[in-house]
Amino acid sequence: MTGFLDLYSEKDTFLHRLDPRVKLLAVALISVLAFILTELLYLVVLLCFILLLLVLARSSYGKAFFALKFVVRFMILITLLWPLFDRSGAPVLFSIGPLDITEPAVWRGATSAVRVGCFATLWYILMFTTSQRDLVRALVKLGLRFDYGLALAISFRFIPTFGLTIESIKDAQRARALELDKGSILRRSRNYVSILVPTIVYALRTADTLALTLQSRAYGAFSNRTYLREIRMRASDYVAMTVVVLILLLPALAKYIYGVQI
Amino acid sequence: MQALTLKDVRFRYPGMSEWALDIPSLEIQQGEFVTVLGPNGAGKTTLSLLANGLVPKSIKGEFEGSVEVFEHPAPKYTVSQLSTLVGMVFQEPESQLFCMSAEEEVAFGPENLAVPRDEISRRVEWALDLVGLKGLNDRSPFTLSGGQKQRLAIAAALSMKPSMLVLDEPAYALDPMGRIELYSILSDLKAKHGMTVIVMERDAEDLVEYSDRFVLMANGRVTASGPPREMLVDPGALRAAGVSPPQMAEVASLINLRRKAPPLRFLTVDEAFAEITINTHHHSKGASH
Ligand SMILES: Nc1ncnc2c1ncn2[C@@H]1O[C@H](COP(=O)(O)OP(=O)(O)OP(=O)(O)O)[C@@H](O)[C@H]1O
Ligand SMILES: [Mg+2]
Repeated sequence: MTGFLDLYSEKDTFLHRLDPRVKLLAVALISVLAFILTELLYLVVLLCFILLLLVLARSSYGKAFFALKFVVRFMILITLLWPLFDRSGAPVLFSIGPLDITEPAVWRGATSAVRVGCFATLWYILMFTTSQRDLVRALVKLGLRFDYGLALAISFRFIPTFGLTIESIKDAQRARALELDKGSILRRSRNYVSILVPTIVYALRTADTLALTLQSRAYGAFSNRTYLREIRMRASDYVAMTVVVLILLLPALAKYIYGVQI
Repeated sequence: MQALTLKDVRFRYPGMSEWALDIPSLEIQQGEFVTVLGPNGAGKTTLSLLANGLVPKSIKGEFEGSVEVFEHPAPKYTVSQLSTLVGMVFQEPESQLFCMSAEEEVAFGPENLAVPRDEISRRVEWALDLVGLKGLNDRSPFTLSGGQKQRLAIAAALSMKPSMLVLDEPAYALDPMGRIELYSILSDLKAKHGMTVIVMERDAEDLVEYSDRFVLMANGRVTASGPPREMLVDPGALRAAGVSPPQMAEVASLINLRRKAPPLRFLTVDEAFAEITINTHHHSKGASH
């Protein structure tokens, strides 16, 4: 755990041990599958499969529900609003004033909602089972330049620091009788400038020291830098990768070669 | 051998009229524990940046004179090369730790130097052990205490196997226990590994026992230099120079103000205890006669 925005939770499950590159691939391929599927039934089956993964990752339900609460709300919203904007097809189920609600549109709404649910749950599982440092390592292994990987890692690392800084600056300003949430919108946004300015100054100073530190630690001295920890594919990773590829490949073949409606 | 030799060194930040550093001569021996004491703006940070080449290589300005690090002329080397001779620890513990785990933090330097993996792994264990953070490999630096953070920063410098450590106000965010812990680690490094240690501080507390030498700075100049006990004969001089003397030295001088007997000389609680028991012993003996 590194901080507030970090969903990762250290556990010893199959999904936690999986090579982060395989996990990234799985998220990508299963997302593609969710795009290919157009029948609500199959999408629901896919969502169930993803929820099964969530159970296998041993996510506490409270934590999962908190993170996915917004997604569930979003899914309900999509289901309800979709038919209002998509009025093609027949038959018309009922009308709200001038708006005709058609049956295919209701189905399409529900389908999109389930699709969004699939994406969100996949990402949640990825973030829940993969530490930020493994994620960065995987990206660097997949060809991201080390500089960018480092920049990404540093920003992950400093999110909680700046979070705390903003809180203590807020407290300091409150102690000087600044009432942050009082007054008109203009007044309130002006109040927030008194938080923003010290935060930016602090960030710049941190960046300054950071630049000196990186140089003192020989950053960029050799182009062939070594790595203490390297992620390596094991047999189980190859098996998982094959399974994931098949999960996408079989439905795709069925749909595009044999013309099965899925 | 000399660890650090400054000759006719002057440095001025761009756009400033005063020299931030103006040091005709400063020599620090290999294996010496030197404490540089000076008030705000004395030039301590600038001096430490000069030792590993960041001044004037990265922080540009008007520079004159010669700087030698272990008898190598500093200008001939890059900051990366100098980093294997001089380990730097900055004042703010928070902003010099940028990795997601303690282990990565310590491995970062040797990784950049393309050290083989097994060797990095050995150095990480060695350095974490030395600073008392053994077993905390996977901890996020963010979750460490102030003292642990500062010690992690030391480990991150040590893993590059420098012969000299320069620490800019390392006790800045520490409580008294944390300070003592920190200084005793540094003193062990000196004793067991022959490390040259330069500590910049504003406050001489706890440093008497550990330092071979105090160097006093003000306005970019070295104003005095000598063994801590000589420098503390008159704690008032230190205070006048803008540096806080150790509390026990001040206690001694306050007692001496009211005493007609020969002045007490102590700098630590143990010495005070010894000195006071001897004196009261004399006194009670005299009364019994
Ligand atoms: N980046 C800079 N630009 C311009 N002047 C600077 C800069 N950094 C330091 N100075 C000036 O150089 C002089 C020495 O500063 P330095 O930071 O080395 O002192 P210090 O002893 O470390 O002080 P402190 O105890 O406050 O850390 C001061 O007069 C300061 O104002
Ligand atoms: Mg300073």
